[in-house]
Amino acid sequence: MPMQSKFKMIMGLGLLILPLLANAVETKLSGEFWGRWINETAKKKNAAGNYTDKVVSNYLSLERGYFGLETKFSELTKARFTVDIFTTDKTHEYTAYTLNDSSQVALPVEPATLTASTKTGSLDGAGLKIKYAYVDFGGLVPIPDLTLTTGMQKVYFGTIYDWTYTLIGKAPTDEYKVANSADLGVTLNGYLPQGFGEYAIGAYNGEGYKKVASSLKDNTDFAYLANLRLTPIPGVTLGGSYMSNTVGREKALDGEALNASYEEQQLMDGLLRLAYGPVDVWGEYISKNVKYPNETSASKTKEYTATGLSIILIISLKDFVKTDVQLVGRYDTWDESDRIAGDKSRSKLNAMTFGANYNFLHDESAVPAMQLQLNYTTKSYDEDKSHSDFADGKRDTSQINLQLKWRFANTIK
Amino acid sequence: MKKIALILCLTLALSMITVSAFAKGNQLTCTGSTTVLPVAQATAEAFMDKHPEVNISVRGGGSGVGVAALQNGTADICNSSRPMKAKEITAAKSKGINPTAYFIANDAISIVVHNNNKVKNLSIAQIKKIYTGVIKNWKELGGANLPIVVVSRDVASGTFEVFNEKALSGAKVSETAQLLASNNAVISAVANTPGAIGYVGLGYVTDNVNVVMVNNLMPSDTTVKNGTYPLARKLYMYTNGKAKGDAASFISFIQSAEGQKIVKEQGFITLN
Repeated sequence: MPMQSKFKMIMGLGLLILPLLANAVETKLSGEFWGRWINETAKKKNAAGNYTDKVVSNYLSLERGYFGLETKFSELTKARFTVDIFTTDKTHEYTAYTLNDSSQVALPVEPATLTASTKTGSLDGAGLKIKYAYVDFGGLVPIPDLTLTTGMQKVYFGTIYDWTYTLIGKAPTDEYKVANSADLGVTLNGYLPQGFGEYAIGAYNGEGYKKVASSLKDNTDFAYLANLRLTPIPGVTLGGSYMSNTVGREKALDGEALNASYEEQQLMDGLLRLAYGPVDVWGEYISKNVKYPNETSASKTKEYTATGLSIILIISLKDFVKTDVQLVGRYDTWDESDRIAGDKSRSKLNAMTFGANYNFLHDESAVPAMQLQLNYTTKSYDEDKSHSDFADGKRDTSQINLQLKWRFANTIK
Repeated sequence: MKKIALILCLTLALSMITVSAFAKGNQLTCTGSTTVLPVAQATAEAFMDKHPEVNISVRGGGSGVGVAALQNGTADICNSSRPMKAKEITAAKSKGINPTAYFIANDAISIVVHNNNKVKNLSIAQIKKIYTGVIKNWKELGGANLPIVVVSRDVASGTFEVFNEKALSGAKVSETAQLLASNNAVISAVANTPGAIGYVGLGYVTDNVNVVMVNNLMPSDTTVKNGTYPLARKLYMYTNGKAKGDAASFISFIQSAEGQKIVKEQGFITLN
């Protein structure tokens, strides 16, 4: 049995058996749902080859729903299970057939006249995936505040693991597909004394929690991660994450032939956060270096390095207007122009977001049960450094998102 | 000229932000531990008598609620019956909040049983066995043939966390235990249930229950201050950074001889 399958099996069995072995001290039920209106305008190429503004999206969605159970078996052992419910993400992989020659329409169609391609889509009104299913073991190692976590869990990379969606968009590493927000893995994570920071090291499958069928990576390599965040003085946080990951199998299962598409990724993230009074500023630098060790061309043309910078500003107006309102802004630049010219993902992107949050129905700890968010985002691509098709045929875009987020949590003792 | 106007506007805006953010007049919000609550309330009343210009709002909710309120900037003072955890301090510091601890009193978590219960002493090991469901009847401890009814605080309570750490070494409380939300509720449950055992902050002990010795030691001023009582602890108030203004005056008042007299009147143990 491959190592990866064994790993999954052991963790899966562990997750099934543990709840049977221990009775819970308390169980917390929690949920979070995001209802969203999205309106997107983009420059689309017309028949004459010119780009004109077109409305490309205008819909309502349940963008995300999380429903979770957290069970505390003892003060040192707890488990969490969260499902991710959504209406917009694709849920299935299927094979689509198209006629090689559109003039051949007589039935039955000869197989030789069809071209097969793999596509993804949604077969149901809503999709469901397991986001978290892990157990935390505290006290296993005699180091204070150190926890061993096993199962489908957070990926402690950059800001993706504590991203609270103060802006509607995803964390930069999630947005630009550098790291996954959750994955199967084993981590050691803990806190430094006196609140000086936190750290994590771990091994993951390296493919996240969303992939299905052929999009699952077919290799025997784990992804390895190290993360450190320091808070040397209140309001100043410095962080760094490193992850090595792979995509594809290095050698064929039969015959040991080298796979030219085998990918080695070195992922790095640097973080600076400054918080003072009502102002909270985040800066995140991301680097993704991709190598193809089995690529046969001498120039190694497929290899590339992508870099990005994201700056986020949050200003709370709570103390001035006596209402929990936040103003938010974000600037992103993401540069994948190092990819070869024909690569559809080749791009250099600048994005800006402005918005506001209205938080209401606070609990006794001042955590709001509801949040109304309005964001306006513009994206523009560098014409010379991007693929001619830009992002799926869409050139510069502007998007309005209006979202109502509501959450609840109840503890059963 | 435009540049000067812009600079002036920005300076004005920043000044408004700074002034509005940090000047809250003479209103103090004090939130958190239900154990600290009676001390905070009584001292707040005495302090406000001396300083009528200051209004102190004292609320309970539990130590965890107080910590969250301090992190979210909605409380000036967080009352806690346990020290803040590294995770909580990290989360606070990253938001620009600098939790600073002040000891305001000593306390002893007191083990209480029904007035008719003849058991006078329990070891920490026996308490652990009772609370984890290993010992189920008082006759196993030299008492009457009576099932033990385990009463505990809910897991969000700071008292629970200290008790769990010091008496149970992190073990799981028996699933048959009653988990109650306040010290008063524990006293009431134990006073009305012949086989019950519970634990509360010393200030909540009443004549309606019996206090049991722990390792042959009664919770007292002497055994807490000399460090021999196994379930002794400190009670805290946390502020964002070094306490300033009215918050500093209020905490200084609690730590003063006059404030400590109130601490003693409330049944808790003074600092010195």
